[in-house]
Amino acid sequence: MAKKRLVKRNVRVLDSLPMLIVCIAVVAALYVACLTGLASNNAMRYMIQIFLYMTMGEMWNLLSGFTGMTSLGQQLYVGLAGYSVAVATTKLQLSLGIGLALGVAVSVVIALLLSLVLFRMQGMYFSIATWVVAEAFEKLFLSWKYVEQGSGMTIRVVPYPKISEICAASLTLCVVAVAVVYLLLRTRVGLGLTAMRDDITAASAVGVNIFAGKLLVYVIAAAFIAVAAGIFFVNKGIVYPESGFGIGWTVSMIFIVTIGGSGTVSGPIVGAAIYVFLQEFLAHYPGWSNIILGAITILVIFFLPKGIMGTLQEKLGFEIFSAKRFSFARHR
Amino acid sequence: MSDALLSVEGVSVRYGDFSAAESVSFSIERGHIVSLIGLNGAGKTTIVNTVMGLHKPESGRIVFKGEDITSLSTEKIVSRGLSLVPQGGRCFNRMSVQDNLLMGSYPRTARKKAKQTLEHVYELFPVLEEMKKRPAGTLSGGQRQMVAIGRALMACPDCLIFDEISLGLSPAVIKDIYNRIIKINREEKTSILLIEQDTKRALGASDSFCVMLKGRVVLSGSSSEIDPETLKKAYFGI
Amino acid sequence: MYFVQIIVNGILLGSVYALLGVGMTMIFGIVKLTNLAHGEFIVLGAYLATVLAPVLGVDPVVTLVITVPLMFLGGFLLQYFLIGRAMKKGNEPALLVTFGLSIILQDVMLMVFSADAQHIVASYSKSTVKLGSIEISVLHLVLFAISLISILSLTLFLRYTYIGRAIRATSDDSDAASLSGVNINKIYAVAMGIAMASAAVAGLCVGMKWTYYPSSGGSYLLIAFVVVVIGGMGSVPGTLAAGILFGLAQVIGGANYGLLISYVMLLIVLVVRPKGIFGK
Repeated sequence: MAKKRLVKRNVRVLDSLPMLIVCIAVVAALYVACLTGLASNNAMRYMIQIFLYMTMGEMWNLLSGFTGMTSLGQQLYVGLAGYSVAVATTKLQLSLGIGLALGVAVSVVIALLLSLVLFRMQGMYFSIATWVVAEAFEKLFLSWKYVEQGSGMTIRVVPYPKISEICAASLTLCVVAVAVVYLLLRTRVGLGLTAMRDDITAASAVGVNIFAGKLLVYVIAAAFIAVAAGIFFVNKGIVYPESGFGIGWTVSMIFIVTIGGSGTVSGPIVGAAIYVFLQEFLAHYPGWSNIILGAITILVIFFLPKGIMGTLQEKLGFEIFSAKRFSFARHR
Repeated sequence: MSDALLSVEGVSVRYGDFSAAESVSFSIERGHIVSLIGLNGAGKTTIVNTVMGLHKPESGRIVFKGEDITSLSTEKIVSRGLSLVPQGGRCFNRMSVQDNLLMGSYPRTARKKAKQTLEHVYELFPVLEEMKKRPAGTLSGGQRQMVAIGRALMACPDCLIFDEISLGLSPAVIKDIYNRIIKINREEKTSILLIEQDTKRALGASDSFCVMLKGRVVLSGSSSEIDPETLKKAYFGI
Repeated sequence: MYFVQIIVNGILLGSVYALLGVGMTMIFGIVKLTNLAHGEFIVLGAYLATVLAPVLGVDPVVTLVITVPLMFLGGFLLQYFLIGRAMKKGNEPALLVTFGLSIILQDVMLMVFSADAQHIVASYSKSTVKLGSIEISVLHLVLFAISLISILSLTLFLRYTYIGRAIRATSDDSDAASLSGVNINKIYAVAMGIAMASAAVAGLCVGMKWTYYPSSGGSYLLIAFVVVVIGGMGSVPGTLAAGILFGLAQVIGGANYGLLISYVMLLIVLVVRPKGIFGK
């Protein structure tokens, strides 16, 4: 029998200087394209969508793929942010920046409060409870006079930001989100989080502070989703209880993470791009969009169980944005 | 070998890179009791689980009643007349004792005789009849072993396998259960495979034995021809 | 008297809510799977009854003779050939497959039946009977009877038949069950078949009581979740009790606040008894 050893192998591509330079160059090029008008308005509309979905996908992946908290209720923070922006700008005549900040503040406070209840549960109980909370908020907003009940609130921002500004802001958000996830996972905390996903009892036995780790991730996810949703609704101009708190947001996030690759940092980036283009393409085939999305999800699970990026990484043996601090390869 | 009811022929099992059993061979004749002796990690349970179709062997084959059962699924193996009393007497804790026993007669061949066999099991273990309405989870360890044995008997097996039946039980209970096992063998002519760590007890109850060490059968023979103490010293260093 | 009226209505309706949860609780308890497509199964059941009743020219309840076996078969095949295979890859893949099924079914129903509101009408839909000073809708009585009979026969089936016992044994310890000669994959498929058959019955009931759309699945799924979690996953009597509790909350709280009350109730139950009132 051949002797088996675990050998440390360097596969962290971002750590290499060339890859870092490529990433910075791509981001810089995107900024230039947005701000100089090089990209058409139409192109920027796609880019905004992609950046915002990337941010949300990245956050859902942080929750589910890396930490094992499969939330079906992240739409709660989408709705809260949408309404915060609406109330701040339209009702209180405040600036958009304050509106977005309000969205984050409300989301973080609610996330902190909910953590007391939600974190007592695990697995599917946690998933169900998160969804029920989001639905409860929808019902609350449907009957709350101040936010116009079911008729929704329009969002009037004066002066309305230029599309290039929205695009640049979305890009910034997306870059920060990826950076935060990447850096978070490479700290001690991140190591504890992945341990927690794999075996919660064992992780707590070796001294991982489960509550603190979960709370950190949950609050970060709430805050980033809130900003992304705030920008989304400014672009959209109106928010309804159903559009804000609908399960559809989580559906998108799940799709993006599943096809991109759950548990990889680069997965949601690829997943979001595919999702946005697929949506656009499917708009030509009304009625078929969910059938095709559903079929793709099922096919990906059966044939690419690790998603596109997960499978690519396995086949090619390298990782872009590796979340691992060490990577081991088995040598015979 | 012509009279063998169950024969394991050169079976090797691997878990990934770890070899749990290497070309293990032994056989059980009709109506005999065979003990498979070895320490923790010797590969005894691996072999038993492979016989029952819970693992697939890397090489070798398992023949039962002259038929190759190596690639059959567990439930098919059970319905051919091979039953296992798993380690720790796993009961269906939320079901009543009687329902646990009736589960044993799930194979179609056993269903017709279920009523009769149930009475017989209650004769063998009267305590189970007294507790037939109680959830199995509320019973003591020894009683749960009895439920597990009763459940295996309900399938009317031709060969019964006991995986470390004495684990975690008091000596008095072990003695009692062993007496009943011998009774089952005498009365029903059921072949029995005993998986044991306790050399003395195993040799005392069986007609022949096999010793397993690190995944291999290192010695086998007739139980009456070997002294338990010598065997212990030679192979287990105690 | 008004109070008694409310209690009676709550209990009658509650049995229907319990029925929504029964299929879900079986899948939770036995297959250990969160079936996100259960709501769509219920809506599918409703559409089948809606379409079949006028075609056959019979009372909608009679269509169960066809829809129940049909949906049972569908569930069996779905589990055996699709979901069961995904389960071999892990829990999350199986969950995502049911999620994929849910959105596919939703759009298929949208295409086939259009987005229009549907409602199943029976000859007795609007009649009432007087019992002393309280008035009870005949429809509610019929729904109550259907739900109770379904739940009772399921309980008896699980308790006294070989397959029923095998189902309970599998949910207790699937390895030990397979050592008793049970084909686990087949038992899972039977459980999914029963869940889907129960969705056929539940679909008929909700279709007769309320209007529904292809997109109604999500809200039924949520009700099923709430009922199942309050009752304790895998417990059929618990589901019945929780359904009645839920029904009372709906009748007392009205459309919006009723749901809000039940959600808060659920969260309290989850915090105080994280495995449900009847859970073990």
